Parts: sequence; structure tokens; C-alpha cells
Amino acid sequence: MSWTREQTRALADRILSFSKAPECELSLRLAEDGHTRFAANDITTSGTSRTMTIGITSRRDGLSGSTTVDEIDDASLKEAVERSEALMAAGRPDPEQVEPLGPQTYPVIPAFDEATSRAGALERRDGVKAALDRARGRGLDASGFFENGAQWSAVANKKGNFGYHRSTSAGYSTTMRTSDGTGSGYAAFNAPKLADFDPAALAEIAAIKAETSSRPRDLPPGKYPVILEPEAVADLLGGLAFALNARLADEGRSFVSKPGGGTRLGEKLFADGVALRSDPFDPRSPGNPWVGGGGGRGGLGFGGFGGGGGGGLPAQRTTWIEDGVVKTFAVDRFWAGKTKVEPVPFSGSLVMDGSKQTLAELIAGTERALLVTRFWYIRVVNPQNATVTGLTRDGVWLVEKGKIVHPVTNFRFNDSPVNLLKNLEATSAPVPAGGMIVPAIRAKDFLFTSKSDAV
Amino acid sequence: MESRRSFLGRCGAGAATLTALGAWPGLTEGGAPDPAKLAELSSFALDRATKAGASYADIRINRYRNQAVTFRTQVDRATGKPVEVPSVADTVSFGFGLRVIADGAWGFSASSEVTKDAIAQAVLDAVAIARANAPLRRDPVKLAPTPAYRDVYRTPTNVDPFTIPIEQKLELLRSVATEARKVNGVFSVTSFIAARLEDRFFASTEGSVIEQHVIQIAPEFTATVVEAGRKVKSRTYRPDSVCSGYEAVERASLFYNAQRVAEEAVAHLKAPSVEPGVKDLVLLPTHLALTIHESIGHSTELDRALGYEANYAGTSFLTTDKLGKFRVGSDMVNFNGDRIRPESLSTCGYDDDGVKTRQFPIIKDGIFVGYQTTRDQAHLIGQAESMGCCYADNYASVPFQRMPNVWLEPSKTQVTLDDLVSGVEDGILIDGRGSYSIDQQRYNFQFGGDAFWEIKNGKVKGMVADVAYQSRTPDFWASCDGIGGDALWQNVGLSADGKGQPAQVNAMSHGCSPSRFRRVNVLRTA
Repeated sequence: MSWTREQTRALADRILSFSKAPECELSLRLAEDGHTRFAANDITTSGTSRTMTIGITSRRDGLSGSTTVDEIDDASLKEAVERSEALMAAGRPDPEQVEPLGPQTYPVIPAFDEATSRAGALERRDGVKAALDRARGRGLDASGFFENGAQWSAVANKKGNFGYHRSTSAGYSTTMRTSDGTGSGYAAFNAPKLADFDPAALAEIAAIKAETSSRPRDLPPGKYPVILEPEAVADLLGGLAFALNARLADEGRSFVSKPGGGTRLGEKLFADGVALRSDPFDPRSPGNPWVGGGGGRGGLGFGGFGGGGGGGLPAQRTTWIEDGVVKTFAVDRFWAGKTKVEPVPFSGSLVMDGSKQTLAELIAGTERALLVTRFWYIRVVNPQNATVTGLTRDGVWLVEKGKIVHPVTNFRFNDSPVNLLKNLEATSAPVPAGGMIVPAIRAKDFLFTSKSDAV
Repeated sequence: MESRRSFLGRCGAGAATLTALGAWPGLTEGGAPDPAKLAELSSFALDRATKAGASYADIRINRYRNQAVTFRTQVDRATGKPVEVPSVADTVSFGFGLRVIADGAWGFSASSEVTKDAIAQAVLDAVAIARANAPLRRDPVKLAPTPAYRDVYRTPTNVDPFTIPIEQKLELLRSVATEARKVNGVFSVTSFIAARLEDRFFASTEGSVIEQHVIQIAPEFTATVVEAGRKVKSRTYRPDSVCSGYEAVERASLFYNAQRVAEEAVAHLKAPSVEPGVKDLVLLPTHLALTIHESIGHSTELDRALGYEANYAGTSFLTTDKLGKFRVGSDMVNFNGDRIRPESLSTCGYDDDGVKTRQFPIIKDGIFVGYQTTRDQAHLIGQAESMGCCYADNYASVPFQRMPNVWLEPSKTQVTLDDLVSGVEDGILIDGRGSYSIDQQRYNFQFGGDAFWEIKNGKVKGMVADVAYQSRTPDFWASCDGIGGDALWQNVGLSADGKGQPAQVNAMSHGCSPSRFRRVNVLRTA
């Protein structure tokens, strides 16, 4: 199965030909996905799916109605368009709706790999075997997930806008645990191409982490200097980037809102050298050519509802933070019009700048810190200062005088990524982690508030 | 090749009759896909799977309808006037998922194209996947026995929520927002009425043919108050997220709670921060439900205990050696799992293994006595049958062990809220959900809430803010020394629990009465 640009355009035109509303927006997605899951040193589940989803939003005079359909014969499509028009007619006007976009020039983002799109359980098996063999041979307990897929997507509307994109994706992650239950290690990688994966190397990292994190020693909760590995950095950065939003800031609901009104745009909130960008053109973590579904909120991809959409703004490179200064807020099309600024789409594909040194060199240059593999169950505690809570997981070690000294029991933390980036002292080279490109970082005074017995 | 529309269409009129959305042809309960057609397709699938070498196969042909009617109103800071933003979405998806066991391994294939051609291809794919993986399996998959069933199950409803016009739902939400907005200081009111219909058809090579129609409904609204750049506080009214008809919305009295909820949101903003320290807690059902979910519901999942979720959702401190021995709570703590209790969100007739649903004990007199299980897990702990906890959130998702309803038994006597509060010298009364975080083995948790009142010398005093409590699951439940009577028991539904790779969501209920916990570490979060 696959969709060419021409096939997709013809399908979109056919759906739009059934529309009687002044505006109709479409999002089309065809996906083929496969996975192999393993746990307790055995294969557990494995499968494949072919799914199609067509989102339709009809609009008239501020009214809108959204629905989905997953069959493409004329009768089914016509029925779905009529369904969305009936929903539209039953609704109430939305004063925050924006006009659908006319024809856009969407960038071409190469993100499709034929071999990855064709790969199945047999192609994934060696990667799974690499983890199972290691675990079985070393008295460890392996679990993990290996997936690959291909997606063909498009957006279209009655104003003549049309975008087409195809991409592949793959992900491998594995957790190794020691038989006594006191050690756990984790490693993961995501990329558009299976050929870029080295499951054996990832399995080895997870195994070493499990073995070296076993029988940890307690340290008292408190403020510690930390070295956060890239997975841990990515865990914390997503929420921070989401808060760099003009409407949240203007309405006083974000850490970049000023008490009493106004925002902190242009202020230096972070350490020298801290830089955070969206780069949808980075081949290690390519983005979508358009942002969001178009929808009622104008294309930022949040705040809208349903499966409709007519194509948002073209994705673009955007610098959110530069040398510690908040440079840009994401602005949806409605809020841009209301506040008379240019819209800025949130183009995802976050990249945090780093240095050229390796993680090992970063550790070697550290006097004292806790080295953290990754975090778990992060939740916002206070949006006004971006404080979150969560726990360390899959390996914490004490580093002293450039050496890893011993494993440490897991902690719960209550701290803010804003403080973390304010207290940043050093970084490693950025690498793919958690859907972003981020370095490991060293920062002072990270607040661990209680011990966690969990391994 | 028959399209979905053609065999849905035989159940009703064409699209031209669309006036009220409830009149969609074939999309409301009673107008589900023709069971005879589904039986024919499933027979074809199971026959092909058997011929392809599968020792077991099942197929689910499912349709899902999700309707979300939402309404947001907020103050435009530039003009000071209210802005009203409605939204309506009503989505449908339909497809099949086929499982096989071949050479002792599972294989799965799914498609949104429900045709014999697509099913034939899926059989080949699923068997090929199983055979590709079989060499890596240590032991063949073994299923606990279940009788074959031919049955139809429907969620009992008085009023099909999809027959209620969109206009009526929007008007209700608008009236709630208008009423809440009358309270001085309210910045925004968001509200929704969400309804989900699952038309499930299951057939297996063991002879089961099961048709189920499950309806879930959830009304809710939140009032938010903002002190720009300093504080944001809110209060949510989340009365009844249940398996039921529209009668659940009608009895929820959204409008009559609007003013109270808005006033409590304003009071929350003005409330002083809590003084942190070791305090007693009295937790109301709408709060306690999520605490139960995270600490007891997840820790008693057998797949976690076996390590099946180690790479994602985590494992459990309740390892299999603790079954029947380990003390999780005080003597008065009794939990049951079930998928049969009326209105609970996980309730249905049969699970996605084709096992008839039931009730079973999980914690008895404070001791851990039962896991949540599926057919392919039961033998791993020496049990002869599954507890019926298999579920997939979509036709394209692999069925696996999911949490059933897990609920706390009320006290055997009519313990009142006053009884619980009167025994507290220094404590906090907590209602509703806030920020929740728990570790991957379900020990260390930190839970916030939606509203907090100080308790001093046995009396509930004014609101306080910025409260979270942190504890360790066995310590916390061991400190439980008061549980309300059955008159206070409330069935509280959660609709979006995440687990598994690829990630799936699940809904279940955690009924409970208000309960008291002693000497818990209370934190100030601001």
C-alpha cells in the first residue's frame, strides 16, 4: 500500500467535490505500522496494521463540524461530507475561527526510506534477538519494543491549498533488569531509517547500565549538581517548549508571563549559551511540512478539535531561546490577528545546542554530580514557575572527581526546567533522544525531594 | 468487495435524512453492522487462519464512534467582554484486528478495510509474523480455557446519548458557562459532553461469537481564575463518567453546580498556601479514585508483575511471591476487581479474549490476594482461569491485560464524613484530581488535588492551596483508619489510562467512599 502525490490529490479533489459548505478542510493519512514487543526474555506481542483516516471539517460563517471516515468509495465519502455539514449546521458560531489558508508553498522534507517502509517481523527479529541473547547469557531480564512504519499524509481545502508528505519512522528501546531486581538500564533510539539502528549496541548499553546500577546506595534527598543524559533532558524540555506560547503568556498563564501583565519575551531567563530551536529539516528528526491541522485555532496543532484540518502554515526553522534569551513565542493565527503580530507556527523537531565533547568527557570533567539516565511520570506542579515533579529511572550514579563512584537509589524531584537551564554549566554534543536532538547537560542545584524505592 | 457503507446502509435510511445527528443511519445502537455479515466475515477469517496453520485465532470487527461537544467561554482581556467558543466533532472508525497463535507464538494483523481480500491478507501476515518470531520464544503461548459463548451484550441505557441533538448539548454547556461566569473573578469556563460507542464483534476458533455494544458518557466543566503572571487556579466538576445513556448527564445537575464550582475556584485562588508537615488526610471519592488507580490498580496488574511492561509503564512492587501474603493496607482495606458492576467504565459482557467478565478479590483484609489477568498469563502464576481483563482500545491495537474496575469496599457500618473529620486534629480534606505522579513500581507517589480544606480540631475550616502529599503505597494504605459507609460510596470513572507499546488508552471506574489516612507527608507546591 502507498499513496502517490497524484493519487492523494485526486482523492482530496473527489472528497471536496461532494462539499456544499463554503469551506471544507481535509486531512488524509494512510499508515502501515509494524512492531515486535519483548519482555521477560521472550517475545510477547507482534503485529502489523494498515489504517486510513480521513478527517473532514466543514465551515460556514464561523460554524464548523468535524468528522472522520476510513473508506474511500464515493458513497462513503459523500456520506461523511454530509455528516460534517450536518454537524456544522447544528453548532454555534466560533468567534475564534480563522479563514482557511489559500495555496501554501510547503517545503519538501525528505523523510521516506523504502527499506524501512517494507520491513516486517523478520527484519526486526535480529534486533530483538540481540537483546534477548545478551540478557539470557548474562542473567539479566530483557524487555523492549522495536517498531517501524510508513505514513502518507496530505492536507487540502476548497481554497486550493494542498500539501503531501510521506515519511518513515522507526524506534528501538530496551530495558534490562538484574535478576535480583536491584538494577535496571535503558537505551533507546529513533530515526527515519532502520539502517541507522544498531540494536546490539543499544542492548549492550542497557545491559551495562543494569549491571552497574544494581545494589544502589542511599543518598539523602536535597539539592545536587546533576548530569542529565540526553533522554532525561528531552523528558524535561517538551513541557518547557510548549509553554513558550504567546497566548498563554499574554493571558498570564505561563512562566513567561509577568506578574500583573506583560511577558518576558526578550528577557534573559537562562544561562549563557542556552539555545533551543525547532528544525524540521534536521534529517535526524525531520518534521512535517505543515504545522497542525489548520483547524479553528489557526494551525498550531493544539486547541483544535476533531479530525478536520486544511493545512496549517508551512513548517519553518525557529529559534525559541538564544544565548539564554527568550527570542520567540509560538503564535497561532487567531491570536496573531488579535494581537497584530505575525503568526509563528510551532514546528516541533526541537534541537538544543550543545558542545563537541562526549558524555564521557563531560563526566570526566565533573567534580561531583549525580548522573541520571532518564525521568519518569513528569507532571506539572506549578505552571507559573514551570515546576514539575517526577522520578529518576533506569540508573543513577554518583560521579566524583571525573569518575563514576557507585550507583544511587532513585529519587523523586520537584524542580523546574527553567531553573535547570538557568543553572546549566556544561553540555555534551547533541544527539537524537526522545524525539528531539539534545545534549547531555550538567547543572547545579537540582532538587531531589524524596527517595524512591522503585527500580 | 463490499464497502462499510453498504453493509451499514442496510440498517437504515440514507444520509439525506440527516436532520438531527442522532438519526445517523446505522451509527446508533441498534443500527450496528449486520451481525450476519460480520459472522460470515469472521467465519471466513477463522477458516483461513486454521488452514494457514494457526492453532488458535480470533477476530474483532469493531466500530468506534466518539462525539465531543465542547464549549469554552472566557473574558477577552482587551474588551472585558465574554467570548464563547463552541466545538463539535463526531468521528467514526471501523476495521478489524486478527490474532493468531502459530508455532507457539502470537501474530497480529489489522486493517481499516473490512473485506474478504483484506482479511485474507491479514491472515497471511499474522501467521507469517508468528512464525518469524517463534524461534525466539522460550515457551509456547498457552491459553487458560474458557467456554465458547454465543451472546449479545448491551450497556443498559434509558436514552441513547447520540440521539440527543447537538444543539441541546451546546445549550446546556452554554447555560453552565453563563452561570459560572456570573461569579466575579472567573477567567474562563471550559466544558464538554463526550460520548463513546464501541460496537464490538468477537469470534474465535474455539467457537465464541460475541456481539457487544458499549456506551460511555462523560460530562464535565472547569472554572479557571487567573492572577496574571502570579497564580492560576481552577475547580472542576466531574460528576459521572460512566457506562450509561444520556440520563447520566441529566442527573449530573451541571447547571446547579455551576455557581458553587466557580465560587470555589475563586476561593482557591485567594486561599493561603498550606503549611507543610505531617498531617492526616480525609480524601473524597473524586480524589481518592485516582490514588486507588495509581497505587492499587496498577500495582496489581499481572503483566507488570511479570515484567511485560518493564520497558514502558514499569513493573510492580507486588511481585508474584507476595501473592496471598503481603500486607498492602490496614485490616479494613478491601479491594475488588470487576467488569460487571453497573455503570462502571470497564463493564462489559466479555473481554477481548472472549472470557465472560466477573468480580474477583484483589486486597482482602489488607492482604494482597489477586492479580488482574488474561488467558495467556493465568498459567504463569498457576491459575486455571483468566479474570477477564483483556482489552484493546482499537481494532488495530493488540489486546492485552488492562485494568478492570478496581474499587474499595465501604465500611460495614454507616460511617459518615463527619465521623471521619471529627477524628482529625490537624489535617486536609481533598476533593478532585490534581497533579499525579508515581514511580514505575508504584511505591513513591506525589498527588495533588483540585480543592483543599484545612481540618482543625475535628472541624473543616477554610480552603488552602498548593497542597500535595507524598507517600509510599504500603505505608499509605496501612495508615487508613477510616472508610465511609455505603451511603457515601461513589463510582468514579477514569477515561484515559495509558499503557503498552504501542500505547493504548483504557477506561475504568474506581468506586470508593471518603477515607481517612493518618500522618502523611504534606508538601507546599508554591
